[in-house]
Amino acid sequence: MSLDFLAGFTIFMLALIMVVSMVPGLLAGLESSGIDYDAVAYRTGVILAEDPGWPVYPPWEMKTEAYKDEIDRMGLAVSKDTPNILLSTKVNAFFNYTFFTEDDYRSKAIFGDVPYSYNFSLRSEDWTYNNATGGTPPSGHGYIRRAVKIKEPGVANISYNSSFNETALDASKPRVFTVRLNFSQLLDPERGPAYRIDPRTEPVNITITEFGRYLNGTAAATNATLKDVTFWKMDPTTPMPRFTKIPFSYNTMDPDLYTLFLDRTQNDLVPGTNVSDNISLVLKPAATSIFTLDQNSILDIRFTFDDGVPQRTFMNGTYLYDYDNVTCPPLKPAVLEVAIW
Amino acid sequence: MACMNEDGQWIVLMGLLVAVGLFFLALIINQSVLVGQTTAEGVLEFPKNDIRDLREAVFDYVDTFGGANNLTTGAVRQDIVAISLERKNAVVNFSVESQVEVSGHYLHPVTIHYYNGVTEYNENVYY
Amino acid sequence: MVNDGGQLYTMEGVAAGLIMLLTAYIVISTTSIYTPGDTHIPDMQLEQLGSDVLAMMDTPNAKDDDKSDLERFIADNNSDGFRAAFLDYCNMTAGDTDDLHMSASVTYRSGDSVGEYQFVGADNTWTGRESAVRVTRWVQLSERPAVLPGVSIENRSQAVLVEVLLWRA
Repeated sequence: MSLDFLAGFTIFMLALIMVVSMVPGLLAGLESSGIDYDAVAYRTGVILAEDPGWPVYPPWEMKTEAYKDEIDRMGLAVSKDTPNILLSTKVNAFFNYTFFTEDDYRSKAIFGDVPYSYNFSLRSEDWTYNNATGGTPPSGHGYIRRAVKIKEPGVANISYNSSFNETALDASKPRVFTVRLNFSQLLDPERGPAYRIDPRTEPVNITITEFGRYLNGTAAATNATLKDVTFWKMDPTTPMPRFTKIPFSYNTMDPDLYTLFLDRTQNDLVPGTNVSDNISLVLKPAATSIFTLDQNSILDIRFTFDDGVPQRTFMNGTYLYDYDNVTCPPLKPAVLEVAIW
Repeated sequence: MACMNEDGQWIVLMGLLVAVGLFFLALIINQSVLVGQTTAEGVLEFPKNDIRDLREAVFDYVDTFGGANNLTTGAVRQDIVAISLERKNAVVNFSVESQVEVSGHYLHPVTIHYYNGVTEYNENVYY
Repeated sequence: MVNDGGQLYTMEGVAAGLIMLLTAYIVISTTSIYTPGDTHIPDMQLEQLGSDVLAMMDTPNAKDDDKSDLERFIADNNSDGFRAAFLDYCNMTAGDTDDLHMSASVTYRSGDSVGEYQFVGADNTWTGRESAVRVTRWVQLSERPAVLPGVSIENRSQAVLVEVLLWRA
């Protein structure tokens, strides 16, 4: 046997040993995509839990089907200074899987060149939120779990208050009940974004309960006519500020902009119908964004009741939609899970 | 080879080629494993949560004491500095000045310094 | 005089030795790299979750709450309440609950020394071999804990560090 053959064989054996010892390494190389999945899941978790998304104002969750391309990134946080505090309107928009396609989730939340499969889920401790989108994760998927809290919009519950029951008014004058939102007060930076009422990103909820107690008892009225609901704005920074009526399609019922329920029946903003007990108005941020308001504006929502003589209700006056009157629900503990494979 | 018939040299050559080829393959595979590992290490080693926690602690401090500088605030500041060094191996310092007007609001200028031997973080912020 | 005809064999031997050493080095370096990497991922996940939970427990649910849950647990030395709230939050998932366990301690400063007391003890799943992660959170107290945890703490406004060890059984 020649020594040359031995030398060559030795080198070949060495190479073979290398290959064999690489075999677990080879498999690890394939399995390392699992490690990669975890990294992608972590990244997606950070984007969802700690980022408000892009664009910020007007926020991405208000984009309609036609403007969906303008959404760059879907983040759920209230602001970039409040990681892990999620905004309920963003959450609801994000889990609207009839609006977002799989490709949208991939290009606006997960990112990356590989078309990853995903499963996002969010559940609050009291089960009021239990959302999920995506497929069932196989074994070996990348995973991250984030503990979060969900911020919900405030609600103005207006029950009976004698200061709004102005019985001494002229019997023929229409009654005007105004709900006033002073943006400079609401958006005061003194109050952190996690506890703020921001009508530009969250719906404004006004519920008048016990309307029956505002009715004109002397005329034995059982209901009153809500003529219309109008929006007025004022910019106090301009010289000689005054309220101007905001042009708006008051006659069109559009649940994307507002909902108005009179005694639990849906109406447009010019109902002209009788109401006896309960008025509920939800003004969506999509509508507020049309109003072109800034952080100094004052927005008035005027409910006008008119029945001619005698007026059938005494409800009149101005209700301030501020931190004293509006109840802000406590933040809801929840858990956000991201699975990627 | 030494004083012998040299007909088998090609075997040596082939062996060498295979070895070099495998070496490069091994390098590539190595890199792909490193990607996943460095991501996890990057996340673990960058003290994002520590810095964020420190910032919130400082802001809590400002909420409570404002720009005051007395025995009470000195003690709280010393708590944060001493415990950071002892338990988190991080050199930490911060200072809060009295309020100045920034675009219509009165805010405290706050400086925060953090260094854990690997990551250094400095911040000047109005709070 | 010795015949030097064997010199080439020596050189060949040396070359072969070098190749073998190189091979061994490559083999060892490739195999050893990803073993620690495997434990990094679960650590990262646990650390993130633990920090999140502490941060959320330290976030008051409403603006008017003067204290967060975490501050209240420390001030009242309520270790059972803290353990229950922390584990509930940690183990909550959309599906089955997870199986995480914890212990916690609080670090405080007293004069020039830094002291520590056990806040929540480890349960019986702790053997010392778990790969536990440590997460921390600063808590500011307006006075020393109302219920003393068995150590002498100066009665003043102070910042203490809550440390939680978290592991999967």
